[in-house]
Amino acid sequence: MPSDLPDAGDNPKPLSSILEGRLHPLTLLFSISGSIRRLIIPSIPLLVFGSRITTAVIVGLMVALTVIRALVRYFSFSYRVEGSDLVTEQGLLGRTQRHIPLDRVQEISIEQGVLHRIFGVVDAKIETAGGQGAEATLSVLSRDEAERLRNAVFARAAALKGSLAKETEKETGEQSEPALSRVTLPERTVIRRLSLGDLVMAGITSNHLLSALVLVGTLWAFVDDILPESIYKRAANTIADATGRLLEQGARTAVLVTALLVILILAISVLFSLIGSVVLFYGFTFSTSGEDLHRSYGLLTQRSSSLPRRRIQVLEIEQKFLRRLLGLATLRADTVGSHSDESEERNHGRDVLLPVVKREEVDELLPVFFPDLEPEAPAWQQVSPLAVRRGTFQGGAVCLLITAATVYYQGSAWGLWPLVLLPLIYWANLVRYRNLGYSLGDRYFRTRRGWLGRSVHIVPIRKSQVVEIHQSVFDKRLGLASLVVDTAGQAFTGGGPQISNLPVEEAYQVARALAQRAAATEYKL
Amino acid sequence: MSVNFALWPSLPRSSYSLAEQYGETTIADMIADMIGATNEIEPAGGFRQLDPRVISLWRLNNAIASAVILLLVLGLWLLSSLGLFENLEPDIAVKPLAAVGLVLIVALLAWFTWWRPPRLYSAWGYRIDDRVLETRSGLLIRVTRLLPLARVQHVDLQRGPFERMMGLASLVLYTAGTHSASITVPGLDADEAVRLRDHLVEIGGDDAV
Repeated sequence: MPSDLPDAGDNPKPLSSILEGRLHPLTLLFSISGSIRRLIIPSIPLLVFGSRITTAVIVGLMVALTVIRALVRYFSFSYRVEGSDLVTEQGLLGRTQRHIPLDRVQEISIEQGVLHRIFGVVDAKIETAGGQGAEATLSVLSRDEAERLRNAVFARAAALKGSLAKETEKETGEQSEPALSRVTLPERTVIRRLSLGDLVMAGITSNHLLSALVLVGTLWAFVDDILPESIYKRAANTIADATGRLLEQGARTAVLVTALLVILILAISVLFSLIGSVVLFYGFTFSTSGEDLHRSYGLLTQRSSSLPRRRIQVLEIEQKFLRRLLGLATLRADTVGSHSDESEERNHGRDVLLPVVKREEVDELLPVFFPDLEPEAPAWQQVSPLAVRRGTFQGGAVCLLITAATVYYQGSAWGLWPLVLLPLIYWANLVRYRNLGYSLGDRYFRTRRGWLGRSVHIVPIRKSQVVEIHQSVFDKRLGLASLVVDTAGQAFTGGGPQISNLPVEEAYQVARALAQRAAATEYKL
Repeated sequence: MSVNFALWPSLPRSSYSLAEQYGETTIADMIADMIGATNEIEPAGGFRQLDPRVISLWRLNNAIASAVILLLVLGLWLLSSLGLFENLEPDIAVKPLAAVGLVLIVALLAWFTWWRPPRLYSAWGYRIDDRVLETRSGLLIRVTRLLPLARVQHVDLQRGPFERMMGLASLVLYTAGTHSASITVPGLDADEAVRLRDHLVEIGGDDAV
């Protein structure tokens, strides 16, 4: 691949290192304690079954090996910013040198566990587009050193861009020297700080059990509206009768215990999601400096990450059912570096850009992520109304199958109860149809979908890699198709922008418009 | 239901009506589609077809796969008729059932080997302008992929032993995408494939991730 960066061979002088560093001496302590922690469980059988001497020898050997590895790592590891690359070197006998081009750095994240905080050190991870997970993990660095590294990498990447532009302008021998001296970053502006109240709301609304309960409640209210009073009363009587019979059989305690248990489980699960949210996102601060977005959060383990906003491939405004009821939303983003198969990233809160925000405030925030977003988004286009019929047929078919099964097993007309769901299925599909849509702008493509929950995907058209149209046998029959926009790193936004039930010709027109548009614009800003 | 295309005055409108091709499909057509009985899909609007030799290639590949499956099935049948599974045999009449199963398997494999490749061939089409590669393929689920050529990361030219024998090649285009990280155009004439690859590399530029 041809490099668009200054060549090291032409001008070796300005490419001298501007930042050099080694790991913090505490690396020794952290890597040894880490290894020992990992060794504890495998050694349990040894401690239980082995004889004293063999145990002592084996454990001693393992500890010695760990210490040696930590020592080697500490003394042999070094990193520096050299020219346009971040270089890490490691290894005693076989030295491994890794060059990471600065303009390929997607994200730098810094993590600080409780133990780290006591000693004032951090782990730094450098993410690029390739491979799985971090390209380089610097563990551990002093807090200041990590900050210096991060600033240096981003300022340097920006400076390289600037100097490159200058060079092409006048093509003098001035090179990147002036850019080098500017290793300062623009001021940080705090965009949003989440209060404890916000996090409590986020925690409660992330609870699945509670969502289910509210959903049942909502459906009940809906059913309550339609059904005539008499049926309602009869059902209530039936339930009362059944309960009465149960009670007569001495099941009073059982019912009571079950009810209490359900309430207890619900309370515990709400409490846990609340605590989880507060611990993970405590003190969440979202700020920007120039091109870069910064997040920092955490009560026990503190995390912070910086990513250049041009790395965002897809943005999702996600509203799960409970959050939508409360007018809240979550912002998620995919970057080239995101990998969905690491559940760790979710546990670390890496998948959200902003855990909770009021829905009506989202629109004001969008230019922070996409500065060239059209101020007036083009109107939403709806899909074919055939979607309602089709969804109802599909849902109805499943419903009929279930009915057949219940009738077969119950052997009476009471087995017909699933048919009650038919109007609900129709209603659900109607709501889903109303909310299914897309908006094709000059630079951005948006899709929205959802029934109880909602989600809006925004993709910069220049980030689209492949546009696909799928037409199943049923689609063909109805003259419909679905459209998918594939971008890099789709991991956290639920599969990215896609829209089904488009009339087929419209799908082709939109797809061709997207592809032509993407081909005509540069991927890199 | 309209899109504002004023933004792209020069946008090439599709020069063929898809509704003509795919719309108004009856259930009979669907079944015909599945068993591969009828109708050709004429690539229109500048779509190029693959090299017809690819039909033989697919038939050859599928014949080998079918032969392996058939051998396995026959082997099992032979073993069971020798009484090796005697203790597993249930009371009901299994033999006629097994015979019907065998006939079905053979029919399926025959369809897969002989009738499917030409239909797949006629479903395949691709076209390239100076910006976008468009491919379409698939029998049951028709998939159209549009790839902006500037997003191509790299291009592979693949030639298996049978492909070499027949003078064919496949072109694999890699993107940075998540779900469609690569797009394969099979069954190209070898010279044509080389020419196409050079063309793609030339206009691809350096705008990948």
